[in-house]
Amino acid sequence: MKIKKALLHLSIYIPDIVLFAVLIKHGVFDFSRSDHRFLGIVFFLVKILIHNLVYLLCFVRPFTVIKDVLMQFQRGRYSMADNFHVMKSSVCFGEILELLRSTGRYLDNLIGSQNDEIEKFRELYNNVILASNSYFVVLNSRDEIIFSNKSFSANFRYIDDEILGLKLEDVFYIIPGRLSDAIENVKKRGESAVLRKIKLISKRKISLIADIKISRVTIQGEKQYIVVLDDITSQWRKDYQISLISQISESIQRDDEVERILHAILTAVTSGSGLGFNRAMLFLYNDQKKALTGKMAVGPDSMEEAVQIWGAVQNEELNLMGSDNESVPSASAGNAFYKQVITSSFPINSDSLLVNVFNGRSPVHIYDASADPRVDPETREFTDVSEFVVVPLCSANKSLGVIVADNKFNGAPIYEDHVELLSIFASQASLSIDSYNSLSLVKERMEHIQAKQEAIIESEKMAAVGRIAAHIAHEIRNPLVTVGGYARRILQTVKKAPKGTEDIGKAASIILHESERLEKILSNVMDFSRPSPLIREYNNLNDVVKDTYYLLKNVFQERKITPVLELEQKLPLVKSDFNQLKQVVLNLLQNAMDATPTGGKITLKTGLTETHIFIRIRDTGSGISDEVMDKIFDPFFTSKITGVGLGLAVVKKIVNDHNGEIVITNNPEGGCQFSIELLRPS
Amino acid sequence: MSKILLVEDEKNQRELYAAELIDEGYEIDEASDGKMAVEKVKSNKYDLVVLDIRMPEMDGIEALGKILSRDKKIPIVIHTAYSNYKSNFMTWTADAYVTKSSNLDELKSKIAEILSTRNKV
Ligand SMILES: Nc1ncnc2c1ncn2[C@@H]1O[C@H](COP(=O)(O)OP(=O)(O)OP(=O)(O)O)[C@@H](O)[C@H]1O
Ligand SMILES: [Mg+2]
Repeated sequence: MKIKKALLHLSIYIPDIVLFAVLIKHGVFDFSRSDHRFLGIVFFLVKILIHNLVYLLCFVRPFTVIKDVLMQFQRGRYSMADNFHVMKSSVCFGEILELLRSTGRYLDNLIGSQNDEIEKFRELYNNVILASNSYFVVLNSRDEIIFSNKSFSANFRYIDDEILGLKLEDVFYIIPGRLSDAIENVKKRGESAVLRKIKLISKRKISLIADIKISRVTIQGEKQYIVVLDDITSQWRKDYQISLISQISESIQRDDEVERILHAILTAVTSGSGLGFNRAMLFLYNDQKKALTGKMAVGPDSMEEAVQIWGAVQNEELNLMGSDNESVPSASAGNAFYKQVITSSFPINSDSLLVNVFNGRSPVHIYDASADPRVDPETREFTDVSEFVVVPLCSANKSLGVIVADNKFNGAPIYEDHVELLSIFASQASLSIDSYNSLSLVKERMEHIQAKQEAIIESEKMAAVGRIAAHIAHEIRNPLVTVGGYARRILQTVKKAPKGTEDIGKAASIILHESERLEKILSNVMDFSRPSPLIREYNNLNDVVKDTYYLLKNVFQERKITPVLELEQKLPLVKSDFNQLKQVVLNLLQNAMDATPTGGKITLKTGLTETHIFIRIRDTGSGISDEVMDKIFDPFFTSKITGVGLGLAVVKKIVNDHNGEIVITNNPEGGCQFSIELLRPS
Repeated sequence: MSKILLVEDEKNQRELYAAELIDEGYEIDEASDGKMAVEKVKSNKYDLVVLDIRMPEMDGIEALGKILSRDKKIPIVIHTAYSNYKSNFMTWTADAYVTKSSNLDELKSKIAEILSTRNKV
């Protein structure tokens, strides 16, 4: 009966309990929230009150007990009922209490099972975060770190909760402007932000390049910021390497110097997270010194400088080979480290580690310089660091040098994959240098060929000029000879004519003289500028002399100069160009006549020596002073008012073309002698 | 008296040379281009031809060939302002090559020399 009654009472609450269960299940009713709990209890209370209104009105004291229970409920304690046994005696209160108790147990179970689930979820969640490469921190509105995932603490070397309460500025040396701006923005507007390729270096000397996501969440009414760092350092390195190589080959096409490539190599090795080394040094083989000599060094003198450089390169995009060399992120020229490297050299015959790597052509990784027997004292002193790598710079056919890299400042261990990357890089670089060298060789040859081509074009031009000159000469000579011819005719007519026409004769002779001078210029210029092909015939030099003499026979008479011909009758024939030899004799005769005063004598002589056959023109003129002698063959050298200065230049050219010699002697009795000596035919 | 055909396109020059050669005692016939010269050689008998090279209609080189193909023995003196025709092998078939000059001594002596050797034969 009692049970029946109790069940009857309880049955009234079943729909409500079911209702709550559904609400909880769907998350509308949240037991973890005190206000929700309170509402639920009030709901039950009101129900109980309505059902038991009569009892409640009769019994005040048990009411305070119920109030007490409710207060306990409010605090989240649902399974306390034992101390209420005292109340059992009272039927209706007993029932009520029993009811409350079972409800409490039910709720307690419910909450308990939910907690388990939350715990499970949290575990899962943490695992996911841990498993990802992302580093994860939560900041509160005062920028303090209130949570960090394990990979964050582990990567940046913080133990347990050591990091909590710190700010980002305490963790990293430099917070790039882009990052702090983005955080400010997220704070103000609440929108998430994503930043790419942010370079960071931690105070515990860890550097990385990360893509960073910042988002805002509101937890228990407080705004918090989740900062997720995706480590893209290795990806970046690869991109960097590829880009660098392409930039190197580009620079080769741009015909920049090897220096530039080398500088880029070292920069790539050290620049921040490029390959991540603190310092890099380059030694190249110097053939003259027979030694590996320090060529370049990139790296700071101290950690402070390292940090500074790091900050300076923050906003640098990938542009090592950029037009502006100053923008290359490096600390090089000027610092002590740089000076130390470029003044060092390791003789190629020494047993230095660097020389051995150079010869061995494979990289060496030294872990402990002080104990490693491969490290010679000199290298040990020079590097002054326990761990470092030496990588050869060699192309297919020859070694160029070595790169030495270390982590002197942060003492970070050098991983095998870094060494590997460095060697790949070095071989790529040497390939570039090699192709640069062969390229410049090709270039050099090209230039050589080009120069030759230009010379050919130049001589072609000369030939063209010569052809034009010949044409012009022809065009001038025709009217010239007409003018001169008529002048001569006038002159001859006047000679026979009666007296009184002397003036006409004088005028005609001036015209004649001038036109003859022009004619002479023409023939000399022509023969000088246009190399007329030699006609090789067997000629008798006596004929050359006689022909020329006949040309000038009248002039001898006019000037009252006595010609003397001493021709050797038994002259062998000489292979030569008759007209050109005539030109030689003509020019020499004219000079001799110019030098010889009236009443003088010019001797034309041919003859033989043991080796030569000669033509000699000997005058009784002024002779040639030593000073003038030096210049007589120079084109356009003349001591005459009406001279052109081409006569002897032409003589020299023609005689040279005949493999002959010109011998000039001043005669003891005055005047001089020009001897043209050709080889005697065998 | 030797008869000479003077081939020269420039009237002034032709008259000058004719006068000078007549003074030397030759009989002169004139032609003002190569074509006319070839015609004249066909219908007349000359002891020698003085031939210019640069001429309109037919130049001296062509005329030289035509004249020689008709009469292999007729002596020809090339008389030109161009010294570089010396390198043209056609001109080698002529008996002499004289570069024009206001001084006609060379031309005259060449003509005299050629005619005297011919007359001896
Ligand atoms: N026989 C000589 N006696 C003295 N000086 C001579 C003699 N031959 C040449 N010279 C000197 O050499 C110079 C150069 O001679 P060259 O024949 O080259 O030129 P040119 O006679 O002055 O002028 P042109 O071009 O008209 O011949 C002459 O000006 C003269 O000073
Ligand atoms: Mg001279």
